[in-house]
Amino acid sequence: MPGTLDMLVLKTVSRGPMHGYAIALHIQQASQDVLRVEEGALYPALHRLEVRGWLKAEWGTSDNNRRAKFYKLTALGRRELENEAEYWHRVAAAVTRVMQTA
Amino acid sequence: MQHLLALWHRFAALFRRRRLERDLDDELAFHLSMREADYRGDGIPAADARVAARRRFGNVTYLREQCRDMWTFHPLETLSQDVRYALRALRRSPGFTIVAVVALAIGVGANTAIFSLIDAMRARALPYTEPSRLVQLWGNVMRSRLERRGNSYMDFLDWRAQAKSFEDIAAFVTMTATLSGNDEPQRLSVEFVSAPYFSLLGVAPARGRTFAAQEDVVAAPGFVLILSDGLWKRRFGADPSVVGARVMLNARPYTVIGVMPPGFKGLSDAAELWAPFAVSAPPETMNNRGNRGFGTLARLKPGATVASAQQELDAISRQLERQYPATNEKRGVEVSPLDVELFGALRPALLTLMAAVAFVLLIACANVANLLIARSETRRREIAVRTAVGASRGRLVRQLMTESCVLTALGAAAGLLLGRVAVPVLIAQSPVTFPSFVTPDLDLRVAAFTIAVSMACGILVGLVPGLQARNVDLNNALKETARGSDGRHSQRVRNALVVAELALAVVLLVGAGLMIRSVRNIAALDPGFDPASMVTLRVSVPRASTPPEAAAPGAPAAVPEPVVRGQALLERIRAVPGVEAVALGSDLPLDGNASAGTYAAEGMAPVTAENSPRGYSHRVSPEFFSTLGIRLLAGRTFNEGELTPASAVAVVSERVVKRFWAGQDPIGRRIKFGTLTSTSPWLTIVGVAGEVKYRGLPENPTADPDIYLPFIDRNQQFSLAVRASVQPSSLVAPLRAAIRAADPSIPIYDVSTMADLVAGQTSQSRFTMWLMGVFAAVALTLSVIGIYGVMSYLVSQRTREIGIRLALGAARPDILRLVVGNGARLIAGGIVIGLAAAFALQRLVASLLYGVTAADAASAVAVALLAAVALVACYVPALRATRVDPLRALRYE
Repeated sequence: MPGTLDMLVLKTVSRGPMHGYAIALHIQQASQDVLRVEEGALYPALHRLEVRGWLKAEWGTSDNNRRAKFYKLTALGRRELENEAEYWHRVAAAVTRVMQTA
Repeated sequence: MQHLLALWHRFAALFRRRRLERDLDDELAFHLSMREADYRGDGIPAADARVAARRRFGNVTYLREQCRDMWTFHPLETLSQDVRYALRALRRSPGFTIVAVVALAIGVGANTAIFSLIDAMRARALPYTEPSRLVQLWGNVMRSRLERRGNSYMDFLDWRAQAKSFEDIAAFVTMTATLSGNDEPQRLSVEFVSAPYFSLLGVAPARGRTFAAQEDVVAAPGFVLILSDGLWKRRFGADPSVVGARVMLNARPYTVIGVMPPGFKGLSDAAELWAPFAVSAPPETMNNRGNRGFGTLARLKPGATVASAQQELDAISRQLERQYPATNEKRGVEVSPLDVELFGALRPALLTLMAAVAFVLLIACANVANLLIARSETRRREIAVRTAVGASRGRLVRQLMTESCVLTALGAAAGLLLGRVAVPVLIAQSPVTFPSFVTPDLDLRVAAFTIAVSMACGILVGLVPGLQARNVDLNNALKETARGSDGRHSQRVRNALVVAELALAVVLLVGAGLMIRSVRNIAALDPGFDPASMVTLRVSVPRASTPPEAAAPGAPAAVPEPVVRGQALLERIRAVPGVEAVALGSDLPLDGNASAGTYAAEGMAPVTAENSPRGYSHRVSPEFFSTLGIRLLAGRTFNEGELTPASAVAVVSERVVKRFWAGQDPIGRRIKFGTLTSTSPWLTIVGVAGEVKYRGLPENPTADPDIYLPFIDRNQQFSLAVRASVQPSSLVAPLRAAIRAADPSIPIYDVSTMADLVAGQTSQSRFTMWLMGVFAAVALTLSVIGIYGVMSYLVSQRTREIGIRLALGAARPDILRLVVGNGARLIAGGIVIGLAAAFALQRLVASLLYGVTAADAASAVAVALLAAVALVACYVPALRATRVDPLRALRYE
């Protein structure tokens, strides 16, 4: 679903600064491997969110002591995540209701 | 807000592009190596782990592109890319580029030049304080139609006392006067002005002061003068202590109290000196409410409008009419904005020219669009290839638009340069004298106008090929053999453009033809006198000794002897070699010195203000009629014995006779100035003269007749009309010498030839005619280039078809007819539309025309010329078509 990836990324990063690989792993694990896409597709989304000012990127050191780009949620990003999540819950609930009654 | 932030991030990214690239590579590499390490940790061999990591990641190159794309600042980057590409493309086809840029440069340059002139003639261009609040007040009278008059001082005083719409008002009148005292006497243009005149205009003196209110009192005026900067430098050597100097004006002592700043020459744009209005005429003239003759300047209070001031003055006029019916019946006031007064006469011609240059620009745009379409046809394959490798249509349209915008920008830049050169040339060449304070310049507004026009032009021009690029059929376009097989739609667009160009050119040609014809008509008009080979000049003959009280102009009786009598002057001039005849007159036709008064005819029916007879009086010597070539229809001219103030004879023009004694013998009838009951003496008519266009060509401004009276030596300023048997201008020096020989103290001025005076009357029409001619020629050239381009293209497109026709046995004349016929249809369409437009538009230029309509022979000639030239433009490519070798044409593709 278009835009869903953005929301998932924002939600993931809301837990704290993470690099791209960690974000990809987290989404896979949290979805119990249901949402398992080409990992590279994550990066255009990350850069898009950064350009829009929802994420802020900083270079830091990873657990295994390598230079990695860490993404952090901004205040703007947090507001966006709330909006998206609210919208998502509404739509998902609506879809569920339709599927149950039909 | 959200978008702005993103835009800002992208914009900022422009400046750390390299760093971003490196970071992106690092980031992706980090991910891959992490995944690889994880796989290896799962026990997958190193080589397989690497491949699996890549597979899991996806297309690295594509994704990197996608990420990079997030950071690109599209508007700017694609723009600079497109501009670079456009410049390269334009350089590759210099012929096309030069033709297009030149066409646009002419269009934009002409528009800029004319717009600069128009812009310089707005109220805000006047060098005065808040010029839009300045108005002039004119007396008017309702006769058979509303006629404009000067004002009377008594009316002026009432307006000043009663009107609440104005901050202040000032009377002003321009006269020539003789300045003497510190150098040889000189005739100068003097403005007599009320004290507030300078503060109304917002012009302060460079030295000294302006007039005080108590110096402008009719009963006890101050004899003080203000010098123009030019006069101060010329005659007083820029003497810094000139304030307080004593000089003689009209033989009366005056004190210099100030010097105006450089460039200021008053509202008349000719003044060298200013004197208080109160000294412009003797008190008895000033106090006569019926004596009207000067202008009035006023400044509207903030909030007052021309309409509200008009309303107020209408009420005052009605009240004055009730109070003073004898002098103010049917009298009103007209409030007129100053810029209308100063530039109004020039505007119709300039607006016509503005329309003409707009047409030229439209033609240029149509031409360039045509060229661009032709180009986009030949670039069809290039566009198809770009589409095939993934260029979106929007992207292609934008790129084509950029190309046409780059082209128009080049054209606009060239046009701006052209306009810069053209404006001074226009002003220098213009037979219309622009006021000296009109200083057109390519200012910001003009530049903005040019840029707006060229951008509109670029979008307009780019739209057509741009839209066509959207209809590219990839399959066909990419197939080698399909070349030239379609483009029907674009051919229709190009045909429409050519028809439009031709129609616009027809309008301009017909317009130019109308101008040329009306100027010819005016020139061929019988003015009632013969202007050929005639020198005119004015002199002011000083009195031998002048008592001070008679110094002011218009002073009454008790006149001392002039230094030389008019008759003696005539004798001296007759003796000059090359002089065929010479006459004296208080004024001459078209010299602008005529003055009018009411008169009455013996036995006439009672009259009202609306139809009371009014006539222009001229004092003339007996040989006036024969020298100027004015016909004497009945009776005789004056004789020598009648040249005295006491003689009571007159020669009247035909209109007087037609009005009062139609069908009867007018000789011996009597008229008098003023009303029937006035005390002025009865004048016996001794002759009838033909009507003369005395006050303007092609028509006198009003239909009032002329009344000629015998010349008397009381006339201090008068004109000489000299009929030359040699080149008139060669007579000027000997004439001056002869007058100087009579008396060296006589100032000579307003030297001209009658032919120049006549030419001055048609200057506006000639100016317009000249420019319209230039524009029409440009329009013709451009539209011929346009039709030539279309026909050549058509022929090249149909080479194959023509080859087949020839191979199947078509005769070459048939081919010729086919191609020329195609062009002829376009030409006919353009001409029909153009003529219809010309007829519709001709009333817009009616004020500039005299005795012509669009439906005359000249228009037919113009249209025939256009048709002929356009047909030649079709014929050349058609001829080429007939030379097609069928074999080669068939193999061609």
